[in-house]
Amino acid sequence: MIPLSETLSQGRELVVEIERRSGQKVADCYQCGTCSSTCAAADAFDYPPHVFMRLLQLGVVDRALTSTTGQLCYDCMTCSSRCPISIDVADVIETTKNIADEQGIRESERGLRLFRNLFLKNVRRHGRLHEASLLAWFNLKSGKLTNDMSLVPLILHRKKVRIIQPRIKNRAQVRRIFQRAKERPKW
Amino acid sequence: MVNTAYSYYPGCSLTSSAKEYDISFRKVVETLGIQLDELKDWNCCGASPAPHHKAETLGVLLPGRNLHIAGAGHDAIVAPCAGCYNRLKYAQYKLAGDENIREQTSEVFQAEVRYQTEVLNIVQMLNREITPEALREKAQGRLANIRIGAYYGCLLTRPAEIVGFDSPRDPRKMRPLMEATGAEVPHFPFKTECCGSYMGLARKDIVLKASFRIIDVAVSTGLDALVTACPLCHQNLDLRQGQINKAFGTSLRMPVLYFSQLIGLAMGISPEELELDALAVQPDIGRWLRGVA
Repeated sequence: MIPLSETLSQGRELVVEIERRSGQKVADCYQCGTCSSTCAAADAFDYPPHVFMRLLQLGVVDRALTSTTGQLCYDCMTCSSRCPISIDVADVIETTKNIADEQGIRESERGLRLFRNLFLKNVRRHGRLHEASLLAWFNLKSGKLTNDMSLVPLILHRKKVRIIQPRIKNRAQVRRIFQRAKERPKW
Repeated sequence: MVNTAYSYYPGCSLTSSAKEYDISFRKVVETLGIQLDELKDWNCCGASPAPHHKAETLGVLLPGRNLHIAGAGHDAIVAPCAGCYNRLKYAQYKLAGDENIREQTSEVFQAEVRYQTEVLNIVQMLNREITPEALREKAQGRLANIRIGAYYGCLLTRPAEIVGFDSPRDPRKMRPLMEATGAEVPHFPFKTECCGSYMGLARKDIVLKASFRIIDVAVSTGLDALVTACPLCHQNLDLRQGQINKAFGTSLRMPVLYFSQLIGLAMGISPEELELDALAVQPDIGRWLRGVA
């Protein structure tokens, strides 16, 4: 049982914060559901986009912060482009996810974090992404060794693979970029 | 003004899994008599994993380095990969709009950042370099046997206030050149639906479902093929089509061509030179070109 009054009063501040950072007004949403009907990932979310908006309207922010919606949304922005009153729904979801991240409430799914980290690690070291390395490392680290192995014969047959890791010359500058982003993730 | 030379940013995918996009694009451009100069020592744009589209520094600095290099080259840079195009436009938008970001970026680059080179996607560039009338003349109805769908996906048009290319709900800019090939180009209702993006390794269930919906609607629209300008969409729709069929117990066979491959075919470039045999789902080129001299 959620003590509703308590949740609402705590939630209100966070909703104000989400609105401030995203520049969107969640109260404007009139629940037409267009965002959810167009969302390609809604089935994988615990709350589809319009329900997510409703949670924020009601101030039940803890549910929004811990939901898989923020973790799995990959920002295709279809919902935002379809909203009849131009609410940037994807931005509201992303902002909420960022707050959950910052407050240590909920991290992204392990697999997604792993993918992003391995991708960026490869780029940081070499300046360019080597797709084959990314696949190999992802499978090793995730323990899903057979992941996408069914594609390998096809990829080889169509000669769609580079054996050697591509590298740029000025890797020092790319390292400096990553170093800077690590020290100051925001401007 | 028509450019006769462009800076070229292929990006990582076009050097491996999307090599047919690179090869067919270069072939088309060469045939048009346009010069492409590959950006010297370009780096990965950061794609989706570099924190996106609000405020994060990495999302500007990585593509910003490429913009900076491009600033010493031609007036315009073409990025056929929709992801690379999107990231370049984003960096340019941030750099143009905020002096603080410009200063900090210049500090990291140890030089005053150059960011004003015009950034073009493949559709913009080819629309500029060949008119539908000129292509129709070359094509001579060569692809009149088929129906094709223009699939835009997400990154080419969204967010519209940053990329400013075409309507994010009902984009139409691929259409004139596609129709000039002689093919029928009916309205494709799922032209801006998302394919599932970069979730393929970590959450294949999401990608397969999202891409299944797109191909399923392409089939019910009666299309012979889809045309895309994005290597990631292509990977999900073409390379993973076998996985889609396995997951949903279907036997869909929907070829997905790159925009440059389609335009190349219309120009009379051979399927071999356009690397059509690199597609996972092979089109029936014999039927497509039947009756063509």
